[in-house]
Amino acid sequence: MTHTTTTGGNPEALRAEVRAWLQQNVPPGWRAAQTGTGQDMFVRSQRDWFTKLVKAGYATPHWSAEWPGGGRSLAEQKVIYEEVARADAPRLILFFVALYHAACTVMEWGSEAQKRQHLPGILEGRVWCQGFSEPNAGSDLASVRTRAERRGDVYVINGQKTWSTLAQFADRCLLLVRTDGSGAPQAGLTYLLLDMKTKGVTVRPIAQITGDDEFSEIFFDDVEVPLSDRVGEEGQGWAVAQSTLASERGLTLVELTQRMRYSLPRIAAIMRERGVADDPALRRELGRLIPKVDAACALADRYLLKRIEGTEAAGDASIVKLAYARTLREFTLLGQRIAGLQGQYREDFIRGGGMETGNWPFDFMNSYNWSIAGGSDEIQRNIIAERLLGMPREPKNWVLA
Amino acid sequence: MSTAELIQLRDSARQVLGEAGLAASESKTWPLVLELGWLLVAVPEELGGLGQGLAGACAFHEEFGRSLAAAPYLPAMLAIDAACAAGKADWVERFATRDFVTAPLADPALTLSDGKLGGTASAVPSADLAGHVLLCADDCVALVSLKQAGVEWRERPTWDATRRLFDLRLSGVELDPGLVLARGEAARALARRLAAQRDFALAADAVGGAAALLDSTVEYLRTRRQFGRPLALFQALKHRCADLKAQVAGAEALLAETLSRAGDDLASPAAERAGQAAKLQACAVYARVAEEALQLHGGIGMTAEHLCHLYLKRALLNEHLGRGGNRYDLDLAEALMAVP
Repeated sequence: MTHTTTTGGNPEALRAEVRAWLQQNVPPGWRAAQTGTGQDMFVRSQRDWFTKLVKAGYATPHWSAEWPGGGRSLAEQKVIYEEVARADAPRLILFFVALYHAACTVMEWGSEAQKRQHLPGILEGRVWCQGFSEPNAGSDLASVRTRAERRGDVYVINGQKTWSTLAQFADRCLLLVRTDGSGAPQAGLTYLLLDMKTKGVTVRPIAQITGDDEFSEIFFDDVEVPLSDRVGEEGQGWAVAQSTLASERGLTLVELTQRMRYSLPRIAAIMRERGVADDPALRRELGRLIPKVDAACALADRYLLKRIEGTEAAGDASIVKLAYARTLREFTLLGQRIAGLQGQYREDFIRGGGMETGNWPFDFMNSYNWSIAGGSDEIQRNIIAERLLGMPREPKNWVLA
Repeated sequence: MSTAELIQLRDSARQVLGEAGLAASESKTWPLVLELGWLLVAVPEELGGLGQGLAGACAFHEEFGRSLAAAPYLPAMLAIDAACAAGKADWVERFATRDFVTAPLADPALTLSDGKLGGTASAVPSADLAGHVLLCADDCVALVSLKQAGVEWRERPTWDATRRLFDLRLSGVELDPGLVLARGEAARALARRLAAQRDFALAADAVGGAAALLDSTVEYLRTRRQFGRPLALFQALKHRCADLKAQVAGAEALLAETLSRAGDDLASPAAERAGQAAKLQACAVYARVAEEALQLHGGIGMTAEHLCHLYLKRALLNEHLGRGGNRYDLDLAEALMAVP
C-alpha cells in the first residue's frame, strides 16, 4: 500500500499534523451548542464536521490508497483516533456505519459496479445504517428471521429489524436476511444493500430511557430489492456480516478508552462543584477508578498493537470490550453518586456528546449501550471463558430439569 | 540484550522455578538466584549487568510471584539498584553473586540525628541471612550492618508462608560513612527511585501470582466433576472466571504501560504515579482472584496441602506492603485533583 499523504507514513509526524489541524478545526463550544437541541441540529452539525474531516482526509484513513485520505497504516489510524479523543472533537456517529461497516463490506465483497455505485456516495455524505439485530436476534445473530423470498429478479422482504443506529436518517441499509430456513442457522443468510426509500420500508425511532432516540426499528412489508443489490452469493450472508463487524478493528475502543481517561477531570470537577472535593471516601473511590481507567486504555492499546502485528487471539477483543463496559459503568456510577440529589433534577443532555458528558444520570443510563450492544457482557464472558480459558461450550441440547 | 533474549531468560527462569516446585524454599532457590545471575538483570551493562532495567526486573518478579519461590529476590534487587545508582561497581558484583543485602518492603519510620540512626523498620525479608540492610532515613540512604551495635531484629511470623519477615529496631546506630550511598537531594531522589521500584516489583509479583492462580483454578474446574459434568460447564462459574481473566489481563497491560510511562527517571513524579497505579491495581486484582479461587475450589481450597491458601496469603500481604498508610488510592486522587 502506498502513502499519498504529506507525512509519508510516519505516525508521529502525522500526530503533529492532526493535532494542529484539530486545534484549528474542532468547532468551538460544540458541546454547549448540542445541549438540549433536536435531532435536526445534531444531523446538521454532524454533516458539517463530516465534510471538514473528509476534505482533510481524516475520515477515510482506513480506505485503500486510491481514495482521498486513504492508505493509512493501522498505526496511523490509531494516531488519528487518539488525537480526536485528545482534542475532544465530536464523534462522527451519523457516518460511522457508512465509513466503516458499509465501505469495508463493499470494498471486500462488492462487485465493481457496487463499488462504483456506493463508495463515492459515502464520501458525499450518504448515510448508512445497519439492519442486523431483530427483536429475537440480538446477541444471537444467527437466528435472524426477516425473510427474503426470491421472485424473478427481486428479493421480497418481510420482517423487522431493530436497534439500528440513526436509521431514521439513513439512505441505505446493510441488511441481513434469511433466504433459507432449512439448514444450519448461519447457512441460510444473505446480505443486501437496501435503498431505504424503497416502498414498504417503515422506520420508527425508539424512545430511549435517556430521552434520546439514537436507535430505530425498521419494518419491511413486501419490500422489493433487486438481485443486483446483493453482496456475495445467496447464503453467504454470515461471512459477509463477519467482515462488516470486523471493519473497525479495535479503533473505536482505543478512542473511547482514551476519551474516558481525558474525562477523569470531570469527576474532579463535580466533586468541587458539590463541595466534596476533600471527602476522603469519595477520594478513595476516585483513586481506585483511575488505574482501572488506565488499565482499560492499556488493554485497548495492546489489542490494537496485536492487530498491527497480527498476533491477536480469539477472545482478546472480548476482554477489551468487557473491561471498557465495566469500567465505564463504574465511572458513571461514581459521577452519579457524587452529583447526589442535584443530579436527579432532569437537565438537557448533549446530543452526540459521548459517554462521559457530565450529565451523570444520563451517562449512567447511556453506559448500558456498551454492556448490551455489540455482544452483551454476558456474551463476552462466554467467549473469554470458552476461547481464552478453554472452558467447555454450552451443550447444544438441553431440557429443563 | 534484545527483548527476545529477555523473553528467553524469563522463560528459562520459569522453567527453573517450575522444576524447583511451587513455593520452593529459600535454601533451594536462593543459590539458584546467585548461580544463574538473576540479580544482574537490571544492572547496566557498563557495571557488568544485563542492562534490562526495571522492565527486565519485573519480568523476573512476575516469575517469583507465579512460582511463590521463597528467595528474597525483591529486597536484594532494591539493594543492588541503590548500589548501581551510587556508582558502586564493586558492591554490585558482591551483592549480585555472594553477599545478600536486604531492604524493608514497607516504609520505615527512622530518624537521623547527630549522625545516629534510630527508629524501626518492618517487613524486612530474611534479615537473619543478610549482612546489611538498605535504609532510607530523612535525607540519607545508607547500608547498615545487621551485626552493628544498636541494631536488634526479630522474626515476625506471617500468614504468608512464602516470605520470612523481620522487624528491625535501631537505637543510636552510628552510620558508617563508607556505607552511605547518598545524602541530601540525591538521597531523596534515590529514596523515590527505590519506592517506585518497590511498587513496580510488588505489582509484577501480583500479576504473576494472579495469572498462575487463575490458570490453576480454571484447570481445577475443568477436571473436577460434580452432578455428572465438569464444573467448568456451569455458566455461573465460567462467567466469574472470565471476569477474573479480564481483570488479570488489565493488570498485566497496565503494568507494561506504566513501566513505559515511568521511563528511565524513576525518581520523577510521573514514575511515582505510574508505580502507584500499577501497584494498587495489580494487588487489588490479585487479592480478588485469590478470594474467588478459594471459593471456586470448594472444600479442597480450605486444606493446608492445597496451593490456594499460599497464593491467598501472599496476595493479602502484598496489598499491605509498599508505601504505608493505605494511601495509594488517596495519592492517585490527589494528583488528579491537583490539576485545576
